[in-house]
Amino acid sequence: MKHLDEEELVAHFYGDGDAEAAEHLACCARCAEAFAALSADLLEVEALHPPSRDAAYGERVWASIAPAVSAYAAPRRKWLRLSLGRGLSYAAACALLIVAAFLAGRFFEQKQPHPPLAVNPAPPAKPRVVVVVLSDHLDRSERLLVELKHADVETSAPLRDEARTLLAANRICRNHAGNDPELKATLERLDHLLDELAQQPQGLTPATLIRLQSEMNAEGLLFDVRVLRTQLPEPQTANRSHGGIL
Amino acid sequence: MSKNDAAAIQAILSGDKEAYGELVKRHAQTLFRAAWRITGNEADADDVVQEAFLRGYRKLGSFERRADFATWIYRIAVNCALDRLASRRSHDACRVGEEIDPEQEQVQLEDLAAGPERLLLSGEIRALQRDALRSLTPTERTAFVLRHMEERSSEEIAVALGIAPNAAKQAVFRAVQKLRLRLAPLRVKV
Repeated sequence: MKHLDEEELVAHFYGDGDAEAAEHLACCARCAEAFAALSADLLEVEALHPPSRDAAYGERVWASIAPAVSAYAAPRRKWLRLSLGRGLSYAAACALLIVAAFLAGRFFEQKQPHPPLAVNPAPPAKPRVVVVVLSDHLDRSERLLVELKHADVETSAPLRDEARTLLAANRICRNHAGNDPELKATLERLDHLLDELAQQPQGLTPATLIRLQSEMNAEGLLFDVRVLRTQLPEPQTANRSHGGIL
Repeated sequence: MSKNDAAAIQAILSGDKEAYGELVKRHAQTLFRAAWRITGNEADADDVVQEAFLRGYRKLGSFERRADFATWIYRIAVNCALDRLASRRSHDACRVGEEIDPEQEQVQLEDLAAGPERLLLSGEIRALQRDALRSLTPTERTAFVLRHMEERSSEEIAVALGIAPNAAKQAVFRAVQKLRLRLAPLRVKV
């Protein structure tokens, strides 16, 4: 028979022993005697009775520590935390999308062959000979129109001769105007004016002169001729490049 | 945990500092009793109670709502008492006096010439018991006090001391062994 040791007896005294130890104590005089001695010793150890504290003791303790503690910060409302968190998430997602789109666009752009610039495509270039002739014709027409603008009946005779010369050149230029509607329209109006001037065998009458000046001013013919002339390449350059043929 | 404790904790964490006063008033007596039994000193016990409630307030944010506040604050108080014992043992010198005065931390040496009449005086018996308790290590003393006087289970002692239940049982057993040895002369003479 195995007897209980002191540790088992202590455990049994405090109620931690198992049923086997209890059965053994019930039938073993030696262990029962040892347990009785242990119990007597422990029962002699009186519970230490602390000094009494009155009902206000807790209040005094709280009064002594209250100044040393600070209130906890009230937690934010849950919905506020949720909405704030959700808003930040949306903002972050949007920012991410924008960055991704930007990067994708740049990447796509780099992969694509660069198309030729299609802004205001220049009209097909005119042959350089035509340019030089046209420039010269417009220059002479402009001078004629300026003289017509300031002409009177006495000084208008030379204008008729010049108009006859310019009329032939104007028709050649008009025929070679190609697809430039602005040039074509201006040359047509100029043709009409030159034709009228050229068909005055006796010179310009005052009435005719005034009418032509009025029509020229009303249609802005002089202005259009000047604009067309400035739009043409420099005739000198063309002349130089062609060795002064024209 | 009681509903009152839970409600008070909720209020404290929501910013109502005064609600902690209710918890202090509710549990101060229990903590004082345990603190006094562990430290054996009234002034130390008062300090332990204050320190425990202060620590408890500062740690309240980490307190798990499912736990029992009474057990939780009790454990803190036991730890504070152990700290106090350790601090006292490292600083105080043991003084020899003619009379036993636990408040003065004096120890009366065994007088082999003393007669049984004197030992039979209950006051002196209690003094001897206190002396025997002081001879224990802080852990043994705390484990014994919690088991023998506070009637806490081994599991509760283990939680309070932060040790395994088996270690708590061992601490109680060692304390009993030492006490019986220390109080043996009293038993023989009586």
